[in-house]
Amino acid sequence: MKRKLIAAIGVAGMLVSVAACGSDDGDKKSGGADGFKGETLTLWAMDGSTPDKWQKDVTAAFEKKTGAKLKFEVQQWNGIQQKLTTALSEENPPDVFEIGNTQTAAYAKTGGLAELGDLKESIGADWTESMNKASVIDGKQYAAPWFVLNRVVIYNKKIWAEAGIKDTPKTREQFLKDLKRIGAKTDAEPIYMPGQFWYHFVGLTIGEGAELVKKDGDKYVSNLADPKVAKAMKTYQEFQKLSKAPKNKDEATPQQGEVFGKGKTATFIGMPWEADLAIKTDKKIAKDIGYFTIPGATADKPEGVFLGGSNLAIAATSKKQELAKEFLKIALSDKFEGQFAKEGGVIPNKESLESALEGNPAAKAMTPATPGGGITPLIPEWGAVENPPNPIKNYMTAVLNGKSPAAAAEQVEGELNKRLAQKQ
Amino acid sequence: MPTKEMASMTVQKTERPPSGPTEVQAPDGGPRPRGPRATPGRLAGLTPYLLLAPAIVATVLLLGWPLVSNGMLSFQNLNMRQFILHLTEWNGFDNYTEILTGEDFWRVTGRSVAFTAANVVLIMILGTLVGLLLARLGRKMRTLLLVGLVLAWAMPVVASTTVYQWLFAQRFGVVNWVLAKIGFESMADHDWLSTQYSTFFVVLLLIVWQSIPFVAINLYAATTTIPKELYEAASLDGAGAWQQFTSVTLPYLRPFLYATTFLEIIWVFKAFVQVFTLNEGGPDRLTEILPVYAYIEGMGNQHFGMGAAIAMLTIVILLAITSYYLRIVLKQEEDEL
Amino acid sequence: MKRSPLGRIWPNLTAVALFLFFVFPVYWMFATAFKPTGDIISENPVWFPTDATFEHFKTAMDADHFWTMVGNSITVTVCAVVLSLIIGVTAAFALARMRFKGRRGFIIGFMLAQMAPWEVMVIAIYIIVRDADMLNSLLPLTLFYMVMILPFTLLTLRGFVAAVPRELEESAMVDGCTRMQAFRRVILPLLAPGLMSTSLFGFITAWNEFPLALVMNKEADAKTLPIWLSSFQTAFGDDWGATMAAASLFAIPILILFVFLQRRAVSGLTDGAVKG
Repeated sequence: MKRKLIAAIGVAGMLVSVAACGSDDGDKKSGGADGFKGETLTLWAMDGSTPDKWQKDVTAAFEKKTGAKLKFEVQQWNGIQQKLTTALSEENPPDVFEIGNTQTAAYAKTGGLAELGDLKESIGADWTESMNKASVIDGKQYAAPWFVLNRVVIYNKKIWAEAGIKDTPKTREQFLKDLKRIGAKTDAEPIYMPGQFWYHFVGLTIGEGAELVKKDGDKYVSNLADPKVAKAMKTYQEFQKLSKAPKNKDEATPQQGEVFGKGKTATFIGMPWEADLAIKTDKKIAKDIGYFTIPGATADKPEGVFLGGSNLAIAATSKKQELAKEFLKIALSDKFEGQFAKEGGVIPNKESLESALEGNPAAKAMTPATPGGGITPLIPEWGAVENPPNPIKNYMTAVLNGKSPAAAAEQVEGELNKRLAQKQ
Repeated sequence: MPTKEMASMTVQKTERPPSGPTEVQAPDGGPRPRGPRATPGRLAGLTPYLLLAPAIVATVLLLGWPLVSNGMLSFQNLNMRQFILHLTEWNGFDNYTEILTGEDFWRVTGRSVAFTAANVVLIMILGTLVGLLLARLGRKMRTLLLVGLVLAWAMPVVASTTVYQWLFAQRFGVVNWVLAKIGFESMADHDWLSTQYSTFFVVLLLIVWQSIPFVAINLYAATTTIPKELYEAASLDGAGAWQQFTSVTLPYLRPFLYATTFLEIIWVFKAFVQVFTLNEGGPDRLTEILPVYAYIEGMGNQHFGMGAAIAMLTIVILLAITSYYLRIVLKQEEDEL
Repeated sequence: MKRSPLGRIWPNLTAVALFLFFVFPVYWMFATAFKPTGDIISENPVWFPTDATFEHFKTAMDADHFWTMVGNSITVTVCAVVLSLIIGVTAAFALARMRFKGRRGFIIGFMLAQMAPWEVMVIAIYIIVRDADMLNSLLPLTLFYMVMILPFTLLTLRGFVAAVPRELEESAMVDGCTRMQAFRRVILPLLAPGLMSTSLFGFITAWNEFPLALVMNKEADAKTLPIWLSSFQTAFGDDWGATMAAASLFAIPILILFVFLQRRAVSGLTDGAVKG
């Protein structure tokens, strides 16, 4: 308060407060397991990632074990890339930070992430392989896998029952048939599926075993013209046809959970937490919400899914490497990783911890699809593709508006290749 | 006489006040005595420079320096890696060659110029009309309209852009709902953002809506300073309403209109949030204007050197567009004092 | 002037139509802020928030460090505006009243400064501030905002100074005032409307600035309100109710300032002497 008053007086006053700021981080070098007294570790986690209780418990355990302080800073999504890039160039970067699994490769290439080979050796022997892939670039470990999520079918039990459907579908064909039945028998929208829900589309390509990019000499180029990609798009289109959702918007504008919450939509494909948005829109819908795994082409294999998730990384320029690793060891220990999965309803980084998801119907619908899931191409160049305007979204809209997949692929290939060819 | 009072009141009502009251309020012809004879001498000669010093120092230091440093960045290959590791990789004119030889830039520039022109023309015409209407209204109605204008102007851009997005949303949009209700059934599911022109239409509406208050309120304030005698003289000469407008009002307001147009060009040309938020420059990058292009290349793709080069080119283009006005000012200043 | 009944009615009708056109989006912002989440997007628009809720305002104001950000925003904005007014009015006086070499050049210079593309210079500015070790401080923000609004302030005030009749100033000096006193006692009061309107403009510009504040001030206790305003739009979807509530709150200081300045400026006018 006093500082603020001084500052309000004028610029001179502000200089004083600046000076006061500068001495915040006493950065004494110290080693040893609990010789970290007086140090402060800064952690950046994204808004919505960390459950409150977990955050409190981990902080307490960390401070007890190391004697250091943990500064837990929740980051907003808006402008996070600029924020992270600039922060990593600073003298006092966040020591540990959450980083999206599709972004890790790009940041690893910048030299901004510390190498964590020894950490992998000491605590990462049984990290789930499909998850850890995103943290390994050129054979080196640059982050620790933290959690992933994949999409499930979220449905309105009342509407499905009204259409006389007893069992949830086990194959894609049956799923489509059920949706059409809902369309015929009820006045609800069978499924809400906007045209640019590209995470789901990426899931479908993974299900088809298709690649979005291919190697051409020493660089990557678009592979959207691949018939397998076209097949995934065809599947997407069949579902999208049953929806009244806009063809040129993604699942967040408007928020599909909110649309579903109005009770006039039978189904949507989304993250488990999107059901909370529906409940926020209308509390009464809570009891009608059900979940099932997205059915694949055959009953024995669920649909391919996109594994959205985050890793934890340490800034290369952080002066508290040891302390940061101590934190990772605590936060990713079976105890806290299990608690994290349970409270957050996310898939933990070890299969042995998945039991924490018992009793969570949404998470249970998630796990069968997880092993067959995947993410976007693990190349540093990929980061640029996702920046708006995302050419893959444009590809989807073009197909849904009547272009042939081949023609649509051709239309966006130039843009996609340009982004893949960008200098690093 | 309420007019004078209103004039002064409305001057403060403006968010972006009349930029050229000099020109408006002191047309040539008024008595213009030479400046008071201050004590001659070296000190007096220095006075204007001393008075200007803080402004110049601040501008050179806080604008000139970043500008120079931006210029230097534009000759570097500066991406995430170089940025994080503090590396300086000079690459000569590479950024410029890449931008200037790519077709994107020229297309975007052409579009930007057309976009700015369309917006500014509409803003100036409609703003002027609303301003003239304000002058004609009774006190109550004038206050009502002023309140509306001010509210529109005070609305944060984030909010107004979002609201426009909602109004024109395909499925839950108020505009489609209303159109369907009043008989245009086919509009019930119309997708306003599916084509280049209809996206531009929505953006245009938003920008014009945001910008009219400034022009209208200031123009109204300016009209109240026109001496009544001029109109009386004109009507003695038998001029009708339209002739009075063209022979008295318009010439009197010309400097003001020039100055406002200059500002609007600058503001509209730099409009980023509206275009980007509404449709990310889509569909298919067809509504991308220069600031959006600079953002996507520079910030979005984190090619900071490239972004810096586009920034420099933006300045050049803005200079070219406004050079006509700057020439007028130069000439005018020559005549004054 | 003679006007037919029709001639009297159409301006009023147009005014009402225009009023609705300008106010509707603003109304929608306020109305949305009070709507329960379920009513925000709706097949049939909810025109009036019948079951109004304060939930969104609560979300908005419960944000971490909300009051710190309010304090920071006010500090930065007020300091920037006051500084630019002081610097601007001094320079404006020189440019409007004195003859000296290079005057024209300075005027053109400030006009060019008005065109500065601040939005795309963010990285350059960031690097300078970072290398000067001044991140997470309110000082650089204040100074840059000050320069962002300075050209406009200065050029506008120049117009207002020039509009003050020289006779007023001269007669004051004849009465024994020094030039400085004449300026303070005669010109300054007459500049009130100009000072008010430029400060309003400056206030809005500084109050709204986002890109610089985002990269330069990442520490929680150095953030400003635009960061808060954008924080309800997240990757998990945008909390529109909270965004609109925040935007409504965000606009209030501007409206207050407007009302306040309007009253002050009227009293600052001495007998309409501004206009000769």
